[in-house]
Amino acid sequence: MRTLPIHPGYQRRKKIIDLIARAIFLLAGLIAAAMIVLIFVFVAGRGIQVFMPGYEGRQDLGTFLTGMRWRPDLTPPVYSVLFIIINTITTALGAAILSFPLSVLTALFIVKVAPKGLRVFFTTVVEILAAIPSVVYGVFAAGSITTLVSKLAGMFGQSTYGGSSMLAVIILLAIMIFPTITSLSIVSIASVDRNLELGSLALGASRMETNFKVILTSAKSGIFAGLILGLGRAFGEATAVTMVAGNKLFGPTFNLFDTTRTLTTTMLSGLSETSGVDYDIRFSIGVVLMVVILLTNLAIRLVKKSIGGVTNE
Amino acid sequence: MNKRRKFADDVRTVVTWLSTSISVIVLAAIFVFVFSRGWNTLSWDVLMSDYHPENMLVEFSDGTPGHFERPADLDDADVFSEKYGFALRDEIDHRKQHLMVLTYIADDSPLRDAVFAGSGPRKGDKITVMEDMQIRRFDYMSEARGRKSPAGFMGNQKTADETIERIETDGSALIGMFYQSTGGGMRGSLVATLMLIGLTLVIALPIGIAAAVYLHELAPKNKFTSVIRSFIEMLSGVPSIVFGLMGMTMLFSVTALFGITTQSILLGALTLSVILFPVIIRQTEEALIVVPDGLRMASLSLGSSHTQMIFKVILPNALPGILTATLLSISRIIGESAALIYTMGVAINDHPEIGRSGTSLAVQIWTVMTGEQPNFELASAISIVILIMVLVLNLTVKGISSRLNRKWRT
Repeated sequence: MRTLPIHPGYQRRKKIIDLIARAIFLLAGLIAAAMIVLIFVFVAGRGIQVFMPGYEGRQDLGTFLTGMRWRPDLTPPVYSVLFIIINTITTALGAAILSFPLSVLTALFIVKVAPKGLRVFFTTVVEILAAIPSVVYGVFAAGSITTLVSKLAGMFGQSTYGGSSMLAVIILLAIMIFPTITSLSIVSIASVDRNLELGSLALGASRMETNFKVILTSAKSGIFAGLILGLGRAFGEATAVTMVAGNKLFGPTFNLFDTTRTLTTTMLSGLSETSGVDYDIRFSIGVVLMVVILLTNLAIRLVKKSIGGVTNE
Repeated sequence: MNKRRKFADDVRTVVTWLSTSISVIVLAAIFVFVFSRGWNTLSWDVLMSDYHPENMLVEFSDGTPGHFERPADLDDADVFSEKYGFALRDEIDHRKQHLMVLTYIADDSPLRDAVFAGSGPRKGDKITVMEDMQIRRFDYMSEARGRKSPAGFMGNQKTADETIERIETDGSALIGMFYQSTGGGMRGSLVATLMLIGLTLVIALPIGIAAAVYLHELAPKNKFTSVIRSFIEMLSGVPSIVFGLMGMTMLFSVTALFGITTQSILLGALTLSVILFPVIIRQTEEALIVVPDGLRMASLSLGSSHTQMIFKVILPNALPGILTATLLSISRIIGESAALIYTMGVAINDHPEIGRSGTSLAVQIWTVMTGEQPNFELASAISIVILIMVLVLNLTVKGISSRLNRKWRT
C-alpha cells in the first residue's frame, strides 16, 4: 500500500487544474459554436461585396434577384438567379414528391410490417444507401439514370442532351434523400406510444388500419423533420447533381427532359476563376442557397402546424 | 372483418412491401453498375500507379541483338521479339486511342539496361524499364539506311506486329526508345486521402471531444449552454458546398499563416474539421450519456477532482463511442467532395504534400467525370474503392454500437 502524501498545496493545485481544464473545454465548445456565426459572416460578407459601390464590375442587386439569364460569357456578363432558384425548388420538390411516400411506407414496413428476420436486412439497406458518398451517386446517375431518361424521352418523342435533364436530377435527388427521410421516419414511428396502437386495435381496427391511421399520424412530427432534412440535402447536394444537370443558361426549366441549372451546380461551374466577379458571385449564390433552405424550413413548419396538433415531440 | 376491409388491408400491406423493395432494387442497381463498370479496371497497378502519364526517352547501353525464347506463359495477343527479348501488345484506352503496351521483358534483354536520354538533370541516370509502359517509338540502327531510324507510332508502324518486324528485319541494334507510363492510377489521391484523414482527425477530434465533454459534463443548464448547443446543431444543416465557401475565405487566412498561398490539403482538413464538429460532438455525447452516473459519483466521492474524473473515469468508459465517432468521421472524409473541390482543388496531384493542392479519391472521381471525356471506368474503379472503405467502416460502427449497448444493459 502506498500512502498518499498530503501536501498543503495539493487541494489548491487540483482546483487550479480544474479551472484550467474547464476553460479549455469551454473554449472547445465555443469554437464549435462560433463556426456557424463565422460562416454566415464570412460568406455573406463576401457575397454582398459584388453589389457594393466601388466594386469593379459591380452587379445590380435587383437584376441579380429577378433576372432569368446566367451568362458569364457575355460582355458585360449577366448574372441573375431567379430562374435558378425556381429550378432548385422545383427539382427538390419533385424529388421530395417522388421520395417522401416511398420513404414513409418503407419506414412503416421496417418497423411494423416486416418479419423480424428481414427487419435487420432492410435497415442495413437503408443505412448503406445513406452511407454511399454523393460522388458515387453522381457516377451512377451519369452512367445509368441518364440512359434511362433518354430512353424515356424517346418514348415520348422528345430528345435530351445525352440524358442530362431535370428528370435525371429529380430521380437522382429522390434516391439521395430517400435514406435521410426513411431513417428519421423509422425513429419516429418506433417511438410512437404502444398504448395508442393497442387502443386502436382494441377498438376493432385492423393492423394495417392502425398502422396507417394511428401510427403514421402520431409519428407525423418526426416524419416532417425527416422531410425537412431531406429537402435540405436536396437543396445542398452539389457534385452529383452537377454531373447530370446540364447547366442551362436561361430558364426556368419546367420541361422534364430539358437541361436545368440549380444553385449548387452554378456554384461548381467555372471553377477555374480565382478572382473577380465570376469568383465572388459564388458567395452571393451561397447566401441565396442558405436563405432558400431557411425559408423552406419555415414553410414546412407552417404546413405542419396547419395540418394539425403535434402528438409526440 | 368484412371482405372490403380485408382487401384494403392487403392492398396496404402490398404497397409497403413494394416501396421497400424499390430501395433494395436501387441499392442493387448502384452496386451492379459500379462493379460492372469498374471491376476490370481495378487492379493493384491502378491503385499504386500515378494518374499522369510520364514521358521517358531512354537509351540502351548495349542494344545488340541476341536470341531469346518466347516464354510459354505469354498470351497469344502478345507479339514477341526473339532478337531483343520483349513482348508488345496492341490495346485501346478509354479515349479509344490505340496503344502499344510493353507486356514482357526478358531478364537479360537490352531493355533492362537503360539510361535516361532526355534533357535535364536526370540525363544519364539509370532507368528501370517496367512492364505496362506505352511504347511510342523505338530508335534502332537501320541497315538499309545506315543511320538511326524510328519505329512504332512515331515511325510508320501502327501495330505491335509491324513494329517488331521492322526492328528485327531492318535493324542491326536497338538504340533507345520513347515511352509513356500508363497513368490513370489513383496512388496520389489515395495518399492525399490518407493525409487528409490524419490531419482532419488530429484537428477535429480533440476539439470535438472537448466540446462534447463540456456540454455534457461541465456546462451549467442555462440559456447560454442551450444557445451553444443549437448553434452546433445548426452546423449540421449547412450544405457542404457552403463549408467550401467558408474554407476559401475564412480558413484560407488561417493556412496563410503557415505560408500556404494556394488551395491545400491542410485547408481541406481544416474545412472538414468544421464539417465534422457536429458529428463528433453528437456521437461523443451519446457515449457520455450511457456512462452510468454511479461511476461519476464513485469517482468524486473517492476524492478525485473533476478533471481527474473526466480523464480517468469518463473518457476511458466512453472510448467505444469515441471510436464510433472516429470511424464515422473517416467515412465522411472519404466521401466528401463539394467542400474539398473548393479547398483542395481539382487538379490530380501524383505527389501530394500537406501545403500543396491535391485531390482526395472522391474529388478524383469528380475530376475524371467532368473532364472533356468522362472516364467511367476509372471513376467506377475509384467508386469501388470508396464503397468498400465506407461499407467496412459503417459495418464496424454497427458492430461496436451493438456491443456497447449490450455492455451497459447487463
